[in-house]
Amino acid sequence: MRSLRSAGLLAVVAVTTAVAATLTACSGDSQDNADGKTVVNVTIDPGLEQGAIDAFEARVAQFESANSTIDIVPKEYKWEGTTFTAQLAGGTLPDVFTVPFTDGRGLIERKQIADISGLVAGLPYAEKFNENIARAGSSDDGRIWAVPIAAYGQALHYNRTLFTQAGLDPDDPPSSWDEVRSAARQIAERTGQAGYAQMTSGNTGGWMLVTLAYAMGGRAESIDGDRATSTIDTPEMARVLQTLRTMRWDDNSMGANFLYEWGTINQDFAAGRIGMHASGGGNYGSLTAQNAMKPEDYGVTVLPLADDADAGVLGGGTLAAVNAKASDAVRAAAVKWIDFYYMSKLITEEAAVLDAKTTADSGQAVGAPELPVFDKATFDQRQRWISEYVNVPLEQMTPYTDEMFDQPLIPEPTRSTQEVYGLLDPVVQAVLTDRDADVSALLRDAEAQAQALLDRR
Amino acid sequence: MTTAPTVAGPALATAVAPRPPRPRRRRTPVTWVRGGGLGTVLFLLPMLAVFLVFSWLPIVQAVVMSVQETNLVTAPVFVGLDNFRAVLADPLLWTAVRNTLWFAFLALLIGYPIPLVAAVLMSEVRRFKGLYSALAYLPVVIPPVVAVLLWKFFYDAGPNGVFNTLLGGVGLGPVPWLQDASTAMFSLVVQATWAAAGGTMIIYLAALTAVAPELYEAAELDGASVWHKVWHVTLPQLRGVLLITFVLQIVGTAQVFLEPFLFTGGGPANSTTTILLLIYDYAFANSLGGDYGAATALSLMLAVVLAVFSAIYFRLTRSWSAG
Amino acid sequence: MSTERGVLSAFDWRRPRVRRTARALHGVLLTLLFVAGLGPMLWLAKAAVTPTQDTLREPLSLWPNGVDFANLATAWTRVQIDRYFLNTVWVATGSWLTQLIVATTAGFALSVLRPRYRGALTAVVLATLFVPAVVLLVPLYLTVVDLSMINTFWAVWLPAGANAFNILLVQRFFDTLPREVFEAARVDGAGPLRLFWSIVLPMSRPILGVVSVFAIIAAWKDFLWPMLVLPDPAVQPLSVRLPALQRFVELDVFLAALAISTVVPVALFLVFQRLFLNGSALGGAVKG
Repeated sequence: MRSLRSAGLLAVVAVTTAVAATLTACSGDSQDNADGKTVVNVTIDPGLEQGAIDAFEARVAQFESANSTIDIVPKEYKWEGTTFTAQLAGGTLPDVFTVPFTDGRGLIERKQIADISGLVAGLPYAEKFNENIARAGSSDDGRIWAVPIAAYGQALHYNRTLFTQAGLDPDDPPSSWDEVRSAARQIAERTGQAGYAQMTSGNTGGWMLVTLAYAMGGRAESIDGDRATSTIDTPEMARVLQTLRTMRWDDNSMGANFLYEWGTINQDFAAGRIGMHASGGGNYGSLTAQNAMKPEDYGVTVLPLADDADAGVLGGGTLAAVNAKASDAVRAAAVKWIDFYYMSKLITEEAAVLDAKTTADSGQAVGAPELPVFDKATFDQRQRWISEYVNVPLEQMTPYTDEMFDQPLIPEPTRSTQEVYGLLDPVVQAVLTDRDADVSALLRDAEAQAQALLDRR
Repeated sequence: MTTAPTVAGPALATAVAPRPPRPRRRRTPVTWVRGGGLGTVLFLLPMLAVFLVFSWLPIVQAVVMSVQETNLVTAPVFVGLDNFRAVLADPLLWTAVRNTLWFAFLALLIGYPIPLVAAVLMSEVRRFKGLYSALAYLPVVIPPVVAVLLWKFFYDAGPNGVFNTLLGGVGLGPVPWLQDASTAMFSLVVQATWAAAGGTMIIYLAALTAVAPELYEAAELDGASVWHKVWHVTLPQLRGVLLITFVLQIVGTAQVFLEPFLFTGGGPANSTTTILLLIYDYAFANSLGGDYGAATALSLMLAVVLAVFSAIYFRLTRSWSAG
Repeated sequence: MSTERGVLSAFDWRRPRVRRTARALHGVLLTLLFVAGLGPMLWLAKAAVTPTQDTLREPLSLWPNGVDFANLATAWTRVQIDRYFLNTVWVATGSWLTQLIVATTAGFALSVLRPRYRGALTAVVLATLFVPAVVLLVPLYLTVVDLSMINTFWAVWLPAGANAFNILLVQRFFDTLPREVFEAARVDGAGPLRLFWSIVLPMSRPILGVVSVFAIIAAWKDFLWPMLVLPDPAVQPLSVRLPALQRFVELDVFLAALAISTVVPVALFLVFQRLFLNGSALGGAVKG
């Protein structure tokens, strides 16, 4: 019967399509391919130049020839808070990925990364981690779930060219907040560009507020056993906001644009529109590679600390973590990769030199300031190994590198960090955009909301 | 081989009509298949599959999730109306509601009359009509993300920003645009209007050409002036389209997301945080897992409000649009 | 039937005051349309080949320090606009096909094959038009996560197919097709597939054109949904990638990337203008 036949044909087509669709959709990564090798998906930064990609592939080849049972598959990935849980649940997270310090503790508490502490303990340098730094990737009982692979402290970046144009000495940058204020005013008056800029959105507003509060001797929260108390409504925090408010409204030295976050402030800083801003100490690489900053413009100095016993520098860094859904075989292979790719260049001369050489050859920065993941001796040793490949203007960075080890390094707040940062974004935005902002009311409200957050857990 | 349809139809009917009475056919699966039922279902399969998985089930799921606490790792827990209570207790919600209403109001003020006036003018154009339509529709074709990113640059608040340079050329001071709570929402609405006005203009144009010339002629016989004709013939004839566009604009602006998200991220100081932005923040902004219960609860509340609004609106305007 | 006219009659046009006012208003309107419609695009084209510092310092001047065509090349290669452009094409093509298949088969079944349960089915489909998209956002997202479709294009294609508006348009159009043609074909022994493929579809070119235009424009513009379900940069379309790109690319290259992203939609519009404008008007008529 005609109708039946065409109906049958339609059915076949429909079923085939459905099957094909399901198969394509379900083509997730298998953990073992036909050769019986363990497949490990590792991350490579997106948007890299071909030279950097080639260097990465070379390292992968090296690792695979030394570990014949492991197959490394690079996947482009960049940590993005908004998509992390979806990728975890949807199974598209690579097996090895990097996470900023800020999110480490939260992930560990929610068991959203694999517990590789046993495997990490087996590494030869497991005991040599700098205690403060290792804490960012450790669970409450001190076991390392995510390996710290880089560490930095906050610093004050400044544009040497703008300094010169404003009549300031680029080799003598501000060393106190009063000096920052007057330098900002001078830059704004003489060059018309923003003297000082502050990040304010996408949680970076809170991150920077807490950074400056640390520099004044304050903290964002205090932990007493199980109970966390929010300490946002404090004189130190108020002092930070007052300083910003004075620079913005009385001196008019902060320019006209305020909704900055990490990427956009880098962009404007590299384009010569900002005299000074605070951010992570190792930003030179991204400023030159991604934002086309001219190397001769760049200068960095230590973040001015107030004359307070508690004043310190907020520390940050990157952790290497393993996917919570990885099998035991993949976890073991993943830790081997972390050891080979991320850690060996910190402690082995051969790996350090190779890494520095390939990085320099691909045109990227070698030698930008960073802080020791292990102890200072290991750090100094590494600096000696890579000294011939350093291609950053070290002389322009001496105001920072000369003093950075003397500043106390303080870890970020550990509870509900991103959410507390997010609460503080509107506070700093209000201070910078509303002349009549009531600082004490803003801080009071923010502390109440933060406390509610901390209590909820 | 087909014969001319109009001839075959009636002829066929008369040929077949006088049939001897037959016993009633029992409806069984076999007769259903033979009657083409299976073919129909197979044709409906794509729609049924897609709608079931990606439309009907998610709608039901939304209701279910609004009374649960979900994260993506462990099983969901029933929590009754807690999500609703938590959302209503959130001070940011009332800010978002206020901002959304403000956006909708500004969009109506600026964006509702402009396409209408422009369309009425355009309908009288006698030469290069196509040029007017093309120019008007061009902003609609530009991908919204590109438009917003471009305007974000235009809105640079320094004296060298594009718009501030233009204003400076006529002696007006630099405007803070996106950097000040009092001008941020306005800046968003201007861009949103720019991007959408063309589409509405085209719709109005089409409706205008459908107005019967006899009505105008009748009005002219009564001695109506141009303005009189517009007010008493054109606008009433456009009533239906105008009413629909109004409600669609309200429903659309209540769900605005792209502009606040890309322009200001909700700032400065939450002055451009809209309801959709809040839903997004509940569900997706937290790197450690979102509050899907709160997000779905808020979306349901918004949907109910919009439904009630539409119902009241249609009730009230039923008599008006009877024209 | 009287000649085409609008508000103004032939007599009105002869009156000098009316004529002058109308001409003046049209002139103003045309100028405004030029400035508002074309202005930003022309500026973007100019800025795409201007170095960063010039765009920042003198945004309105024309190349005070010369043109910089390298921006376009850099945007195409280093920033890989070509890859994201291709992703956008993939996304648009798949969404378009899915929407066409779903709408035509459903419209055909409901309008031509006319099953008994037609009314109920149409009602359930149309009911989804009254549900604002926001309600679907989170559960649809979790559905896609459960089906492991994150980072695949299916996550964008399939939900796009669940578009009741398309089905409404197509069904209404099919309703206007002459039934006698179908009867004759049936008498000749054509099954539903043959009827669909060889009779109905060829007669439906206008509505297929309208649905296609809507589908492609919607897919090209989509931002929030692709951003959520395509976190991997390698598969992201332009609309998702451009905002992220802004953070690590210089301003002049970024503006060049923006300019490149507008070329295809604008070109398509200029070529298929009638289709766009008619489709838009038809859509408005249906909503009314």
